[in-house]
Amino acid sequence: MELGLYLGCLIPTEQYAYELSIREVFPKLGVELKDIQGPTCCGAPLRNINMSLTMYLSARNLALAEKQDLDILAPCPYCHQALTRTMAVLDENQELREKVNSHLADEDMRYQGNVKLYHVLDLLHDVVGVEKIKEEVEKPLEGTNIAAHYGCHLIRPNGLERPDDSEDPQKMESLLRAIGMDSEDYVEKLDCCGAHVMVNEPESALTKTGQKLEAVQERGFHGMATMCPWGQRMFDSKQEDAAATVGASLELPVLYYTQLLGIAMGISPSDLGIELNLSPIHKIEHLEVEE
Amino acid sequence: MNRVGVFVCHCGSNIADVVDVEEVVAYAQGLDGVVVAKDYKYMCSDPGGKLIKDCIKEHGLDSVVVASCSPRMHEPTFRSVIDDEGMNPYCLEMANIREHCSWVHKGDEEKATKKAQELVNVAVEKALFLESLEQSEIDVVQEALVIGGGIAGIQAALDIADQGKKVYLVEREPSIGGKMAQLDKTFPTLDCSSCILTPKMMDVARHPNIELLTYSEVEEVDGAVGDFTVKVRKKSTYVDWNECTGCGLCAEACRMKDKVPDGFDMKLGDRSSIYTPFPQAVPLKYTIDPESCIYLKTGKCGEEPPCLEACEIGAIDHEQEDEIVEINVGSIIVATGYDLLDPDELYEYGYGRSEDIITNLEFERIVDSSGPTEGKITKLSDGEDIESISFILCVGSRDEEKQTYCCRIGCMGALKHAYLIKEHMGDEVDINLCYTDIRSFGKGYEEFYRRIRGTDITILRGRPSEIKVDPDHKLSFNIFDTLTDKLLEIESDMIILVPALVPSEGAEELARKLRISQGTDGFFLEEHPKLKPMDTVKSGVFIAGCCQGPKDIPDTVAQASGAASRAMGILNKSRLENDPMIAWVDTDLCVGCGVCVDVCPYSARELNEVTGIAEVDEILCAGCGACIAACPSNACIHKNLTKKQIIRMIDEVA
Repeated sequence: MELGLYLGCLIPTEQYAYELSIREVFPKLGVELKDIQGPTCCGAPLRNINMSLTMYLSARNLALAEKQDLDILAPCPYCHQALTRTMAVLDENQELREKVNSHLADEDMRYQGNVKLYHVLDLLHDVVGVEKIKEEVEKPLEGTNIAAHYGCHLIRPNGLERPDDSEDPQKMESLLRAIGMDSEDYVEKLDCCGAHVMVNEPESALTKTGQKLEAVQERGFHGMATMCPWGQRMFDSKQEDAAATVGASLELPVLYYTQLLGIAMGISPSDLGIELNLSPIHKIEHLEVEE
Repeated sequence: MNRVGVFVCHCGSNIADVVDVEEVVAYAQGLDGVVVAKDYKYMCSDPGGKLIKDCIKEHGLDSVVVASCSPRMHEPTFRSVIDDEGMNPYCLEMANIREHCSWVHKGDEEKATKKAQELVNVAVEKALFLESLEQSEIDVVQEALVIGGGIAGIQAALDIADQGKKVYLVEREPSIGGKMAQLDKTFPTLDCSSCILTPKMMDVARHPNIELLTYSEVEEVDGAVGDFTVKVRKKSTYVDWNECTGCGLCAEACRMKDKVPDGFDMKLGDRSSIYTPFPQAVPLKYTIDPESCIYLKTGKCGEEPPCLEACEIGAIDHEQEDEIVEINVGSIIVATGYDLLDPDELYEYGYGRSEDIITNLEFERIVDSSGPTEGKITKLSDGEDIESISFILCVGSRDEEKQTYCCRIGCMGALKHAYLIKEHMGDEVDINLCYTDIRSFGKGYEEFYRRIRGTDITILRGRPSEIKVDPDHKLSFNIFDTLTDKLLEIESDMIILVPALVPSEGAEELARKLRISQGTDGFFLEEHPKLKPMDTVKSGVFIAGCCQGPKDIPDTVAQASGAASRAMGILNKSRLENDPMIAWVDTDLCVGCGVCVDVCPYSARELNEVTGIAEVDEILCAGCGACIAACPSNACIHKNLTKKQIIRMIDEVA
């Protein structure tokens, strides 16, 4: 299987560990990744300002993939949601599709609507498969209980096709179990990471971040796994700020699932960008060697 | 061609001030086929009628055109005038020169007069070809069927029976009583629900004019107003109800005693396989539930089923089979009620994820002193004491994802429950009530709301987010209170959901059997939302209670009495006359394609089995004209509104 990797903005500018670990694990699971040439913004941040511009930007990236005859892996849920929505809207609204295509024509491009879209979650769970992952595990990360954080864009809104159920997602847990970890449901699982109000209301944002981290820590989890660069940024990169905001002592390791998967597959942690994580990941038993 | 007389009315000054009546008369006199034209100040008065009658006699008229007001006003008047003179009443045509002309063209007399002339001209063109029509008559079966034995069905059945007509009351559960029987108290007066309902149920049981068919369902409906034939399936109860005394020894002996979830108690309590739904059941007879009865499931229950031994009179019959009863009625009242929306469909409210998240109807059973907990309110998950209870209103109601409409009883029901909790547990327990808008519209409702609002209770305006269920049974949710603009986190030991009301199960199937319509929300559709709220499109079939839309008990009872009164309007007649202005088939032209059968909304059309030619059921046909427009062979013809008439009418004004 060959997929075009569409990273969006946050991963290549800040969340390098996600990209590193994705580029490490997927080829070993039979998914070759090629770069989409000349990508732009997915359009999502403009959605509430100019819907048709959002559609144009999304469609441009989709059209680029079509030009290279590739389906897309979009590891950022925010991008994934924008692209999915654009595909759904342009399927229904032929008028808007023609308008978008008339702009794309400036670059000799055309959106056809026959590209398939994957996120890390459904690619691993539904395409690669839990069984295949179990086979590839060299050192199961046993004895560790990890909380799954999905993030809102990955599963919502209900009604748009998303990689997992909007109210009761379970695929990440089964992927965590596949690499030997424990992962139980917890009450705060669907709580907000705060990323979306970080610019305008940093205190509110960090309160949400801190409250969720505190709850996960109090419930006795050894760490948290994410599949979203926005959530990772809040829970990992901004954990200290969040702790100060809610007045708690937070020491919770937060990693990308692809990092944990890579470690379980026997890939060297430094190839998975492990030194880029800012949360105290050494607290997880299997990562002690890194200290 | 008919000899036509034209009679133009001044309507005092209503018409004559705007339309030059004399000009219209002069114009009419010049039209082909018109043998006489007259005007009069009030054509609907006795002298006006006499003028028409005299002219019919003197000029040997075949049909009459009256140019006056709307036919909705005086068509019956003029029909009876010409009928008196021996002319067929359907040989009348009216030209509406008041509502359609003088009233709307005041100030432009010249054009108004010209329009009145054209309207008369058109009416004359039609009158030239009017034919005598005869009304068909049917004998009315002066008995009624009421479907559904909740409070609506009970009220309707009693009203009709009290007026001396026989009523069949069909109920699918073993007892009548419906949802009201499950309620503890009723708002806003807090009467005990069963105390006011049980006497009515007993009235039904005792009434000589009511034949009760419980544990029965309507299977098939045929016929039309005045003469419906209905097949009712009497489901097997496995107990001979003629013998059963309701002593209950069988239920005591049953091997499944206290093992079968009790539907009446919302599955919060348990019963035996042989049961009555509740102690005041009417009829007080026992029924075996085939889903759980060991003998009915396996053909064997120990040495011998203990119920057989317990029943001294030998009323139990495990071999009993369903019975189909055919009844004949003149009118049908549908009162099939509602169900609660299953909150399981709304994951975020946590129903099914915790035993402490319940519906308001479940709480009715809990708070009822004859319910499964005998009125004691404790946590259902672990039996621990309760310190706080939260209500969430509008669960699936006023929600674009689910039901867009208001359930109309949720707010008041929750306020009532808040009161009952205080009564049972005092101020020790914290009550939070999360609402969208409090709708306390009924008589005495607003006063009740104020009374509860004044007690120690937290009322929050907003919709809670996801309910979180902790493994140790702790429940919590966030709510943004839109009155204080604050996000609050609330912890609760019990959460009572107030779900939307939806049509009761099987409503769609019943609508199909009765050929009545449903709205987009599934509730049965009334013929007119304001002026015919109990009628349906099917003549002779009426609706009452929540099957028409969510409503409280007072509105339900009022509508049930209304529906009974509408039904009595039919049952009081021995014969019904049919409007003869309906479709008929020119058998020379009909090719038997069957298009008319498909388009007829009243099932009045079918193909003759022998000739293959289409026929019209004169009783069922409502004269809507759908088949006439659809017929590709011009074989369907509307009596007294033929294509020839219509084309001539159009030609005159074109």
